[in-house]
Amino acid sequence: MKKYIVLLTVLGLILGAGQAFGKVKNPDTFVLADIGSVDTLDPAKNYDTAGTQKIWTLYQTLIFFDGPYTDRFAPVLATEVPTVKNGGISADGRTYVFKIRKGVRFHNGQVLTAGDVAYSLKRAMICDPAGGPMWMLLEALTGHGSTREDGKIIPGIFQKIDKAVEVKGDKVILHLPKPYPPLMGILCYSASVIINKQWAVEQGCWDGDIRHAAKYNNPPEGKEPLQSVANGTGPYRLKLWKTGDRFVFERFEDYWGPKPKIKTAIVKIVPEWSTRKLMLQNGDADRVHVGNPYVEEVKAMKGVKVYETPSLAVTGALFCQKIDPTGNDNIGSGKLDGDGIPPDFFADINVRKAFLHAYDRNTFKTDVLNGLCTLPPTPLVEGLAFYNKNTPIYPFDLQKAARYMKKAWGGKVWKKGFKMVITYNTGREEREAAALMLKENIESLNPKFRIEVRNVEWKDYMVNIRAFKYPVFIIGWGADYPDPHNFMYPYMSSNGTYGKYMGYNNPEVDRLLKAGIENVEPAKRAAAYDKLQRIWYEDALGIVLFQPKELWAYRDYVHGFVANPMFSPAYEFFHLLWKE
Amino acid sequence: MLVFVLLGVSVLIFAILMTFSPERRAMTYVETPQQVKDIPQIIKQHGLDDPAHVQYFRWLKQISTGNWGWSFVAADTVWNAFWRYLPITLELNLFTTPLIIIIGIWLGTQAGIHKDTWLDHLTRIFAIIGWSLPTFLFALIMLMLFYGYFPLFPPGIIGDKVQMFILENPDKFHSYTGMYTIDGLLNGRLDITLDALRHLAMPVFTQVVVVVALLMRVMRSSMIEEISKEYVITARAKGADNKTIYFRHARKNALIPVVTVAGWLVAFSMEGSVSVEIIFNRRGIGWWLAQSAIALDIPVLMGMCLFFGLVYVVTNLVIDILYAAIDPRIRLT
Repeated sequence: MKKYIVLLTVLGLILGAGQAFGKVKNPDTFVLADIGSVDTLDPAKNYDTAGTQKIWTLYQTLIFFDGPYTDRFAPVLATEVPTVKNGGISADGRTYVFKIRKGVRFHNGQVLTAGDVAYSLKRAMICDPAGGPMWMLLEALTGHGSTREDGKIIPGIFQKIDKAVEVKGDKVILHLPKPYPPLMGILCYSASVIINKQWAVEQGCWDGDIRHAAKYNNPPEGKEPLQSVANGTGPYRLKLWKTGDRFVFERFEDYWGPKPKIKTAIVKIVPEWSTRKLMLQNGDADRVHVGNPYVEEVKAMKGVKVYETPSLAVTGALFCQKIDPTGNDNIGSGKLDGDGIPPDFFADINVRKAFLHAYDRNTFKTDVLNGLCTLPPTPLVEGLAFYNKNTPIYPFDLQKAARYMKKAWGGKVWKKGFKMVITYNTGREEREAAALMLKENIESLNPKFRIEVRNVEWKDYMVNIRAFKYPVFIIGWGADYPDPHNFMYPYMSSNGTYGKYMGYNNPEVDRLLKAGIENVEPAKRAAAYDKLQRIWYEDALGIVLFQPKELWAYRDYVHGFVANPMFSPAYEFFHLLWKE
Repeated sequence: MLVFVLLGVSVLIFAILMTFSPERRAMTYVETPQQVKDIPQIIKQHGLDDPAHVQYFRWLKQISTGNWGWSFVAADTVWNAFWRYLPITLELNLFTTPLIIIIGIWLGTQAGIHKDTWLDHLTRIFAIIGWSLPTFLFALIMLMLFYGYFPLFPPGIIGDKVQMFILENPDKFHSYTGMYTIDGLLNGRLDITLDALRHLAMPVFTQVVVVVALLMRVMRSSMIEEISKEYVITARAKGADNKTIYFRHARKNALIPVVTVAGWLVAFSMEGSVSVEIIFNRRGIGWWLAQSAIALDIPVLMGMCLFFGLVYVVTNLVIDILYAAIDPRIRLT
């Protein structure tokens, strides 16, 4: 009782805490209270949203997403966006020409040249740290997803990199081994930012001689020379980075573009929500990161402007058709005897269809996520090219679910019953809610059906997924670049990040995925992805739970926010903002 | 002795960490599902599938050359990160430890002397509240009251304006200790010291209220036990006054168990208070250690275990010396 009184008191204090909002504090300073810390500022190594935000603040790419669009681009360090029409992209889709902008200075005062651009792209690909983001550029420009295979450098890979990027006067030309439609999106990513060659070499980066490239490949953890320093052409320069604590950015007065109104931008890492909330309330933060459980709380705050934006991400409950039974208590006895399931339980499409019909997606949307999501039929989510909203879904229908369960395994499932585990990663309440909903609905079909919902810490979770340990696992995916390939390949390919561990292998799917990525003609790509979406439905591969919407909570005197589905709330473009 | 203790600790911790599979340890370098495909490469790069003894001796060799490894949580070498986070925790301890010891001994003595009076009951209530209230909850209440309702004591270490002044005037402020309260004084900048104190007030108050209860209760029990001993009755019979009996004789003897507890509290405080550091947004050893444990940042865990092993050995030594100083019957050999 005492505990509840104390908790209620604290809740009351949190909810009612000083609602008085003052005037604009520090008009030329912007403070973001965030949660994600950064482990490197090296564009070739960074592969998380918090780091990408910092790199995009300090450096720039040749082109970038045009405002709210994910499929339209604006020139940045290039003078125009290459297209087939303007001759910037060859008809066969294998050559891209970028004319480099003149009069752009790096933070150290040096002038940008085409040589810097070519060096930046080559250096990043040569560096290619394990676990890093360079597979994207490498795949597009060399046809290999890495510079190494089985821990050894692929013979001739550096020569391929060297030939892929060419300088001609003030132009940089990219030569692709095969057409690669997502390239433009990849060139917007933080791994494709432009650094100053001379400065980078001084810091200990690749010396520019391709014969020495191997020496600079896959540097040990923390030894990447640009880990804590930066020299880009971005609107802000790095003033301070106290790791795990804060970043301070200072306006770059020689910036080539329009002068940003915010002079100083500070990103503080504040892991505790109550502290962040009070900072927003007191005007000590101009925007704070808001976790899902606090959405309604922040919407009720006075003086706070909230934006809800769609996000290129998707969460699904995936069926594994080839479970490893060794020491695996997730499948009980490992047999269809009422106390477990066989390792290939989900290989029977009737079981998969029964699960799909037992999931009530509309209730989930309204009751669990307060409508803060969309419900795409397949992992090819809204906002991506070739999204087909008319792809059929399995509607919530417990009678149909029961009918499929009766057919499954020749009627044995219905007769004997089963026991199994549905897993999600610790701390994801919405995934837990989806799992519980599924459990209750399936168990309601037959008293012999028993499901346990279990949470596992994310890193253990990924290890076990890779070991084929979970019959049904709930997992999410966020875009690296805005192209259907980045979503359909991981979920459906026999070698995809999830597809492989779903035990799904369909040669037709692999052929269509290849056709989708190697064609430049939109009509041919559309046909491939349309067919893939259809197969996702027909083969009942998994339950697409939701496509999240993101929430951005600003003080109401902050203006200039531009929503783009590619950006999560870890991002902030200070140069677009002003306080008034 | 110290070397054997530290070696023992390191073997034990390493053995525990080796119970995680190479895949699981490689996952510590992974943040997104996209990176998972590189796990075999990461295992190879870090030799995570080498035999356990090979990995241990590799670590030992590395440590012997002064290389404590890389902390991905801190995004820095373990050595650099340690010296960056330590002053934050030390600064908090510098203010809390004397307060805890002084208040704990004083209140405990008073409660013992005035057993079963209103003063004793009051300290008992205070102790129950302090000891039973979870630190995070008390810290949250303090934050709501003194930052939310009355914006007097903000979270963090220093204010943004002071931070900007330091950044823009590197010639006017030199960081000698990493503790702003002290560095402010050493640089002749009282405003910086005051600003740092303003940020320290709530963490210190929270820590003191939560921790002082234990010391107070130990002191009270010990004091009551001493007062009931025969030498006190004899002293009274001889006409000694209460002040002499309580403060010259009884309290001195009652301090022995208190020194033990206080010593351990000081040693324990070097680990930092995770709740206080997180809620008041102070990046100290506690925060670092908690994050590293969650993320399985092995170089940090190994390095910190050695550090705490050292702290506890030194603390025991100091406690033994203090015993001898307090009680002449105890001799150090």
